[in-house]
Amino acid sequence: MKKEVVAMLLAGGQGSRLYALTSHVAKPAVPFGGKYRIIDFPLSNCVNSGIDTVGVLTQYRPLELNSYIGNGQPWDLDRSDGGVHILPPYMREGDQGTWYKGTANAIYQNIGFLDLYDPEYVVILSGDHIYKMDYADMVDLHKKTGAACTISVLEVTMEEASRFGIMNVDEQDQVYEFEEKPKQPKSNLASMGIYVFTWSKLRQYLMDDEADPNSSNDFGKNIIPNMLAANEKLMAYRFHGYWKDVGTINSLWDANMDMLAPRSSIDLHDPEWPIYARSPIKSPHTTGPNARISHSLVTGGCQVDGSVENSVLFHSVVIEEGANVQYSILMPGSVVKAGAQVSYAIIAEDAVIGQNAVVGSAPDDNPDWGIAVVAGGVTVGERAVVPPSAMVREDVKGGELA
Amino acid sequence: MNDLHGILFAYRSNANLGELTRPRNTCSLPFGGRYRLIDFMLSNYVNAGISDVGIIVHQSYQSLLDHLGSGKDWDLSRKHGGLRILPPFSYAQQGHGEYRGNMDALAGVSDYLSNIRQDYVIMGWGDVAVNLPVADVFSQHLSTGADITVVCTPTLRGAPRFSEYVEVSEENRITDLSVHPTAADKALESLELYIMSKQLLMDMVDYCAAHDISNFSRGVLQPRLKALKLMPYIHQGYAGRFQSVGDYYQRSMDLLDPAVRADLFSPLRPIRTKDQSNPSTYYGPDSACACSLVADGCHIEGEVEHSILSRGVVVEKGAKVSNSVLMQGTVVKAGASLAYVIADKNVTVNEGRMLMGHNTYPLAIAKDSVV
Repeated sequence: MKKEVVAMLLAGGQGSRLYALTSHVAKPAVPFGGKYRIIDFPLSNCVNSGIDTVGVLTQYRPLELNSYIGNGQPWDLDRSDGGVHILPPYMREGDQGTWYKGTANAIYQNIGFLDLYDPEYVVILSGDHIYKMDYADMVDLHKKTGAACTISVLEVTMEEASRFGIMNVDEQDQVYEFEEKPKQPKSNLASMGIYVFTWSKLRQYLMDDEADPNSSNDFGKNIIPNMLAANEKLMAYRFHGYWKDVGTINSLWDANMDMLAPRSSIDLHDPEWPIYARSPIKSPHTTGPNARISHSLVTGGCQVDGSVENSVLFHSVVIEEGANVQYSILMPGSVVKAGAQVSYAIIAEDAVIGQNAVVGSAPDDNPDWGIAVVAGGVTVGERAVVPPSAMVREDVKGGELA
Repeated sequence: MNDLHGILFAYRSNANLGELTRPRNTCSLPFGGRYRLIDFMLSNYVNAGISDVGIIVHQSYQSLLDHLGSGKDWDLSRKHGGLRILPPFSYAQQGHGEYRGNMDALAGVSDYLSNIRQDYVIMGWGDVAVNLPVADVFSQHLSTGADITVVCTPTLRGAPRFSEYVEVSEENRITDLSVHPTAADKALESLELYIMSKQLLMDMVDYCAAHDISNFSRGVLQPRLKALKLMPYIHQGYAGRFQSVGDYYQRSMDLLDPAVRADLFSPLRPIRTKDQSNPSTYYGPDSACACSLVADGCHIEGEVEHSILSRGVVVEKGAKVSNSVLMQGTVVKAGASLAYVIADKNVTVNEGRMLMGHNTYPLAIAKDSVV
């Protein structure tokens, strides 16, 4: 059936800058904020914006992401018409078909899917940002201005501007130029990688782009510049509010810490804009007689007997008596045994930190200091040490230095 | 397991639960921070592979309907079978508080019963907190060839005036059943949960309707103790019953015992409940929380000890909560102090108020009250 708006969520990226955290899962499936995974934010935004048809484009390590999304029920996207659809690359007759070569090619390969719904507008989203946004408002601007493409932008500082794709706009916020990471930025409007296209326009540009053998088939590098060159009307949509790219270990850690201060970041309790998640069945968490928890998030199924400060605990985390956790992120099922010290660290799913082990440390003057990361399922032995900045992917034997 | 059909009685509201059951029947009483009592038996059924469940309701079932919805949180939203809520269709005693007895309740839904696809039926009350391996009960029922298997517990919990007790012979046959005696006179308490064939159930429902018998235990089981082969299934695990405010309080406090939690919330047979998309619980910089069970979505800045906090409870700075049960949405404002209190949903305790009950007489505060 025809839909006015269909959203396409690019979730195929490996997220290689998250290293050990994405060795088993695609970046959008990385746990976030105690209860969520990164993809919950764009998916919930879609539903809250009234978009009921969402294609999720996957290709890197899709299994966990696929089972997480399932039939879309937690986001009310289990619809008889529309709903959420997982879209992997696929083969065609005569051994034709490739992996998704770029963001634009990923959409190109799914023109058939979009044609099923014959939408007026397509919203392109990515699975690596934490934010709340009413896409309907952006589509409204797109309609009102009669643009071919509307790009969501965030005002950043001029110093930061050289790290982003920058939109240069006129007084009406019409884009006349797009510059990728300019050395001398002319504006501070950074592209958030969220686009609304008039589908009939985009469809043609995707076909033309595919025919160009020199194209890298990317929205930022090819489609947007091509549209500008052809004098299409591109509008900037100014977004105000919390928005965080969580593509690196530091930004992922930062964004999790932001969730501890909802007034300055995202209010997850807002009944007007709930963020949905698929939650496993867990009983409430419990605290022991000597538990100490301060400025932290704790989730169902946790058992806290030790001390937890400025940290985010996902479900089923165990903090034994005498263990001390500070400024850290503990993903589902991780265990910190008695006497262990964990600070400024990310402990991935089901990892075990042995008795009296030490993981990470507070920031110091050492220029090499950074967040310590222990990958999923890894065991750090008794009295072992994982220094700051370390990325541990394999078990560390008792007493050893990772 | 597609040969067993589940029936739950969800129509009684126990008068002794006072304020706690005024807005709801006992089955939808919140328990354990995030559950309603019916979650336990319903999950037990589902965890045994039962795909068709009928829930017999009579009055004040609004909150139960809200909670169960289509049954999707229990995987019971099915094209074929699944969850069926059964309000009275045409019942002679309409207008009265509840069915006179469970045979009346079954007669009220006899069309439903005749359409049951399975050969066996398990039926019982939906207001018992128990993690019961129903699959084991069923296989025992099949292997012993009993006409009726009665689930019993050796740990006597119920008040005798509201409980039933069985006596078992050396051949493991139930030889006596006492209903609501003045004192617990037998070693086994019945959980009033039965497995039998659909055919036997239908015959009994017909017989009782024809003879105006409303009570299953008195009208069916007692007169037929010799004619029918009644055998017990003895459940060694935890079973919590809720017959008074004091019971509710004690059963809640039982959950602070790790052994009880391990039994009731066994990961092998998880207790499912309505998903509410709450974020994680936030603990403020000066909070303290010891020996407590805390659901998601709470905001704790004060002190909590030996308590059970449901989803979305707020404990402000300087507030103290000890030995209490706070249901969903309770707000304890700055400097307030609560001990031995049961606060129903959305209770607000204003700044500086002191509320204190006693271990043997907890103070229950009605839903939506402002103190």
